[in-house]
Amino acid sequence: MDNFLQQLPGFVDEIKTLKEVIITNIVLIGQTPAPTFKEKRRSKIFMERLAEFQVDEVTTDGYRNPIGIIRGTDASKPPIMVLAHLDTFYEKDLAVNYVIKEDTITGAGILDNSLGVGVVTSLPAIFKKLDIRFESDIILAGTIQSIGKGNLRGVRHLLKTWPTPIRGGICIEGIELGRLNYYSDGMIRGEIWCSISEERSMLDEYTPNAIIILNEVINQIMSLKMPQRPRSRIVVGKISGGANHGKIAHEGYIGFEIRSDSYRMVKKIFGDIKDIVEGLSHEYEVDLNLRTISNLRASRLKYTHPLVKNSAVVLETLGIKPFSKSTESALSIFLSNKIPAVTLGITHGVDHYKEKATMEIEPMFKGIAQVIGVIKAIDSGVCDEQQLA
Amino acid sequence: MNNNWLEKNTFHYSDFKDLGRLVAEKTRKNLKISLCLPTLNEEKTIAKEIIILKSELMTRYALLDEIVVVDSGSTDRTTEIARAYGADVYNAAEILPHLEQFKGKGENLWKALYITQGDIIVYLDADIKNIHHRFAYGLLGPLLMYDEIKFVKAFYDRPISIGKNKMRPTGGGRVTELVIRPLFSLFFPELTQLIQPLSGEYAGYREVFERIPFPIGYGVETSMNMDIYTKWGLDVIAQVDLDRRIHRNQDTKALGRMAFAILKTFINRKVRLGLIDLRDELFDEMIQYNLVNNQYQPELFKIEEHERPPIIEIPEYREKFKIEPDFIQKLQEA
Repeated sequence: MDNFLQQLPGFVDEIKTLKEVIITNIVLIGQTPAPTFKEKRRSKIFMERLAEFQVDEVTTDGYRNPIGIIRGTDASKPPIMVLAHLDTFYEKDLAVNYVIKEDTITGAGILDNSLGVGVVTSLPAIFKKLDIRFESDIILAGTIQSIGKGNLRGVRHLLKTWPTPIRGGICIEGIELGRLNYYSDGMIRGEIWCSISEERSMLDEYTPNAIIILNEVINQIMSLKMPQRPRSRIVVGKISGGANHGKIAHEGYIGFEIRSDSYRMVKKIFGDIKDIVEGLSHEYEVDLNLRTISNLRASRLKYTHPLVKNSAVVLETLGIKPFSKSTESALSIFLSNKIPAVTLGITHGVDHYKEKATMEIEPMFKGIAQVIGVIKAIDSGVCDEQQLA
Repeated sequence: MNNNWLEKNTFHYSDFKDLGRLVAEKTRKNLKISLCLPTLNEEKTIAKEIIILKSELMTRYALLDEIVVVDSGSTDRTTEIARAYGADVYNAAEILPHLEQFKGKGENLWKALYITQGDIIVYLDADIKNIHHRFAYGLLGPLLMYDEIKFVKAFYDRPISIGKNKMRPTGGGRVTELVIRPLFSLFFPELTQLIQPLSGEYAGYREVFERIPFPIGYGVETSMNMDIYTKWGLDVIAQVDLDRRIHRNQDTKALGRMAFAILKTFINRKVRLGLIDLRDELFDEMIQYNLVNNQYQPELFKIEEHERPPIIEIPEYREKFKIEPDFIQKLQEA
């Protein structure tokens, strides 16, 4: 591994010689819309590109996650999985046309996660260019149904049904270069819908207003006591409702997320919110419904786990300063399946969730080199004898 | 009328998606292929075109030998961006600079013949938002795989029926359907089989392009179709369905000016071929009206359709491509 680390900075310029190929993959994939549950077209392109780069096998799992496999040199070693989620926040009918300038690429979904998917599909060409072989099979996956209501179903299914043990995993996200995620909080995302029948407003002079009721829900949620240990928090991140400035709102909803180091605490807080919702529903005689959108159990690698330590060394060797925080990505599914894994970011960018999301091109080459370094670390055995926390 | 042409010489880009086969055919025939992108303020799309075509048809498959940008004097960052991504960038005014200077797409295409090396030249507009390498290999397919085909035009997804139970999208844009197709129907019915005669994407052998004149502006596609047809016949032409193309939409007045230039080119061609007589010269101003403060005011656009001669008639060209000095004389005698 030490010899490999010495070579690693030199890989950056080698990878740069494939600049056009990598950007082409990012653009061809990124310009194909893939809202959650409608990833079929992007999935097809993902497989086409891998087939064109002549990976040993291109297929889908039983849930239609597209997969490419590069065979390793030692059949006795379990595979290493490298994945990026295929789905984007944008609707299918949004015409996505990326604009490339000298240093940047701009367009909807480029950072989340067209860049990540484009990099995964470019890895076969990059391995070939660098003349790198691994002992393990490398599984390149584009997972479907990750975001929002997708609730990471694609990766859950992929890992649950994979027929062999998995040596280690790397989740690729577009940004931020330097992120080294190795733990995820417990989390539940939910929505609270308030609905008042229009009939009632015609009969009742004091018709309740959905927005006012949701406001009361928020007030009561905010008055819940959040413990310091385990660290816990609630974020109300979405709100929508009403039809007109001068009309009583008949419908509205809020979206929220509960996070904690402890999944038990997440469930307890969710139970408190459920009590609030039921109480107000009864008090105001309105339909107030609580729905769970997605959930994750808290899971983590120890900071001293060799995968985390070696990944940090890889980043530092490339002059990238690692930083870490909790992530709600596919990482948590790896960890909850007792598979050591980390999440890495590829480059820097701005306007993450906007139509004009913009990525920087130049740092991407270091970002790709770090992925190769971490794959090599797993291939050299850093995950083989360690138990997860 | 050659009714079989549409069936026989119409292809789909996917017929040629085996790029290895195209490269093998190119190698066997010992051909060089140049891609030319004429530009004027295309900073939003030029990089994407260069990157994708270079990645897929130069780095991964050696189908293209060079990518050349010929620019009409962009005031944005088109030329800097094109250079940054490795294209050979030329300012049209600096190619054959001793000749009278004109500005226009046709001028760039004509001058590209002087600076490119290829036996085959692919011309693609530089404003294609959904650029894909099929735009180039789709056009090259018939040229490489069928010896009799010398010029290939693109068309896109607009339905028309071809034979039994075959449906294809119809027609081209508004100018095609309202101007070109009626004219072709009146004078060159065989050419109506070109589904999008004004498409800006085409490829052909140098020996064809160097022997036809190039109007410097909008008329270049119209004249190219007519000249190749009258000189070599319909069977040297093919057309390829390139699926979808997304580009800038133009307003009706801009299309009116385009139609003016095309009509002028067409009529001049007819006169030259001896098919019609004109008693007077055609005017060279397009007059359009705008409602300003409740009054209609004319807006005049001078649209001179200058025309470059076949580039083979230019001595510098013959010298560069080692064509015998008395070639023209021999050609005329022949």
